[in-house]
Amino acid sequence: MKLLTKTSRIYLLFSLAIYLITGFAFYWIIRSVIYDEVESRLQVERQDFEAFMKDQESWSGSCYFVENKIDVLPVRQRAPITEEFKDTLIYNRYEANSDPFRQLTFYTTIGKLDYRVSIRKSLIESYKLIEVITLAMLTFLGLLLGSMFWFQRTLSGNLWRPFYDTLAKIKGFDLTSSKKIELAPEKITEFNELNEVLKKMSDKMQHDYRSLKEFTENASHEIQTPLSLINARVEQLIQSPELTSAQTYWIDEIYQASRRMSRLHQGLLLLAKIENKQFTDVEKLNFTELAISKLIDFEEILTIRQLKTFVVNEGPFIATISPSLADILLSNLLNNAIRHNQPGGQIQIKSTSGQLCVSNTGDKLKTEPERLFERFKKESTSADSLGLGLAIVKQICDNNQLQIQYTYVEGMHQMCLLKTELVPEPKSH
Amino acid sequence: MKILIIEDEKGLAESIVDYLNKEGFICEVASTYWQAHEKVNVYNYDCIIADLTLPDGEGFGIIETLKKISATTGVIIISARNALEDKIKGLTIGSDDYLTKPFHLSELNARLKSLIRRLNFGGSNEINFDAIQVQTAARKVFVAGKETTLSRKEYDLLMYFLSNIEVALTKVSIAEHLWGDNIDSADSLDIVYSHIKNLRRKLLEKSNKDYIQSIYGIGYKFVNP
Repeated sequence: MKLLTKTSRIYLLFSLAIYLITGFAFYWIIRSVIYDEVESRLQVERQDFEAFMKDQESWSGSCYFVENKIDVLPVRQRAPITEEFKDTLIYNRYEANSDPFRQLTFYTTIGKLDYRVSIRKSLIESYKLIEVITLAMLTFLGLLLGSMFWFQRTLSGNLWRPFYDTLAKIKGFDLTSSKKIELAPEKITEFNELNEVLKKMSDKMQHDYRSLKEFTENASHEIQTPLSLINARVEQLIQSPELTSAQTYWIDEIYQASRRMSRLHQGLLLLAKIENKQFTDVEKLNFTELAISKLIDFEEILTIRQLKTFVVNEGPFIATISPSLADILLSNLLNNAIRHNQPGGQIQIKSTSGQLCVSNTGDKLKTEPERLFERFKKESTSADSLGLGLAIVKQICDNNQLQIQYTYVEGMHQMCLLKTELVPEPKSH
Repeated sequence: MKILIIEDEKGLAESIVDYLNKEGFICEVASTYWQAHEKVNVYNYDCIIADLTLPDGEGFGIIETLKKISATTGVIIISARNALEDKIKGLTIGSDDYLTKPFHLSELNARLKSLIRRLNFGGSNEINFDAIQVQTAARKVFVAGKETTLSRKEYDLLMYFLSNIEVALTKVSIAEHLWGDNIDSADSLDIVYSHIKNLRRKLLEKSNKDYIQSIYGIGYKFVNP
C-alpha cells in the first residue's frame, strides 16, 4: 500500500469515528435539552392543574385544556409511584395518525376520590427541530470531512512529491552505467538530507564498481601478458630441431601448465565478472534452440566419444540473460555431460517451458551432490578438469534468476535449469 | 610485407618478430603509445599488430589515427582484455581481427596471413605448396591437380598448416585454432588426432606424399617430404 493511501485511509477512518461520536453526542444533548424543557413545562401545567382543582374542587372534561392534553381517570387504589414521565403515541383524529407526546402521570385526590391524572405535551415540533439540526449537522460535518480529506491528500501529495521523485530516480539508477544520479535540492530538510545521503551512496557504489572492473581488467592484463610470453617462448623453443625426447617432454609439461594457468585465470575472471554483474546486455533467449545448436558444435567430440544424444522437446525454455553467458552456461553443461560420461553412453536434453535438463550416463558421484557446484570441486582427478565449469554455471544461474538442480535418476546424472520465482516488482505510482 | 608490432612487453614483441621474420615479414616494434603514433604517421605498413593496454595510452587511439591516414592497412588487436565490449569497440573502429592473450604465435601468423589474403583480394588468391593448391576464395583444394573434398574442419586445419610450414605446431594450438576457447582443449585433443588422420589420408591418396610429420609429445609439422 502506498504511503499516501495509508495515511488518507487512517485519517478518513479516524475522522469518521470522531464525527460519528460527535454526532451522537450532539443528538443526545439536544434531545435531553428538549426533554428537560418539555418536562418543566409539564410540571408547570401540573401546578396549574392543581391550582385549578383547589379552586373548583371538581373536574369537568370541558375546561381550557384541549382534547388529549389531559386525562383524568378515577382509580380505586394509587400506584406506588407518585409521578412518572414517559413517551407515548396518541392518535390524532384530524390527521389519522399517531403523534409523539411526552406524558406526566401523577395521582391526586379530588373530593374524596383518587384520580390518576396524565398531562401530555406534543413532541412533534421538537422532533422536527432535532431532525433539522441533525440533518444540518450531518451535511456540514460531511462537507467538512470531505474537504479536510481532499485538503490533506493534496497537501501530503505535494509534501511527499520530492520523496516519490527520488524514489523514481533511484529505481532508474543503473550501477553499471557511468551516468551519475541527479537529485535536485529540495526545500524540505529531511528530503534534502535523504537525497544527499543517496547521492553519496550511489556515487560511492559507482566508484567501487568502476575500480573493481578496472582491477579485474588490469589483473587480467598483468597475468595474461607474462603467460603470453611463456607460451611464445615455448613455441619458439619447440622449433629447434635438436630437442631430445626428455626435453620435449619437459617443454610440453611447461606448455600445458601455462595453458592451464591461463584457462584457470580466465575462468576466475569470468566468475568475478559475473559476480560484478558486468554482463548487462540481456535478451530473451530460447535455451532449447541454443542447446540443440550447441549439440551440433560438439558433434565431433560426441562421435569420437561414441555418445548418443536424445532431444525431448516439449516446449521452449525461455529466459532473459546475456547471450554470451547463455552460451557459456550451455557449453559448460554439455562439456560436463561429455566429460563425465562413459564410452557409448548417452546424453539427453529434455526441455519444457518450465525447465531444461541435460542428463548423462556415468558412474555414481563420489562427492556429495551439494558440493558439485563449489569452485575447484573436481569429480575426476584428471588434470584436464579445472573444476570451475559447474561453479561458473551456478554463478550465472544465481545472477540471472535461474536455478540449477542436480538429481541422479535411473543411472542418469541430471542437471536441470529452472526459473526462480520472480519477486513481483512493486508497482510504480 | 611490412608489419608494425605495438607491444610493450619486450619479450613478447621479440618472439613475435622472430616468428614473423622466419615467415618473411619485415617487422618493426613500437613499445609506447607515442612511439607507435609517430611510426604510424611517418611510415607505411601493410599490417599492424596492436596491444590495447600501453604504458602511456590506449591502443584504440592509434588504430583510429591509422584508419584516418590509411584505411587499407590491416589491423589485428592482441589484448588480454576479453570483454565483449572491447572486442566490439575494436572491430567497429576498424580493426580486422581480435586475438585474446595468451595466444599461439602460429595462430597469430595464420590470422595475419588470412588477413593479408583478404586485403589483397584483387591479386592472387591461391596458395601453392608443392602439389597442393588452395583457391581460398572458393575454398577449393586441389592435390596433384585433382580436386579434393575436405570437410570444413579439415580445410581449416590445412590452412593452418599452410600458414605455418616447417613449424612445429602443438596439439593444443591446433585444437584452439579449430574450435576456439569454446571447447576445453584437453577434451579436443582426441579430435585433433582424428582430423589429422583424415587430412593426412586424403593428401596421401592423391599425391603419394605424407606432408604431415608427427613430433613426438608435442604435435605436428607440415613439411615437404
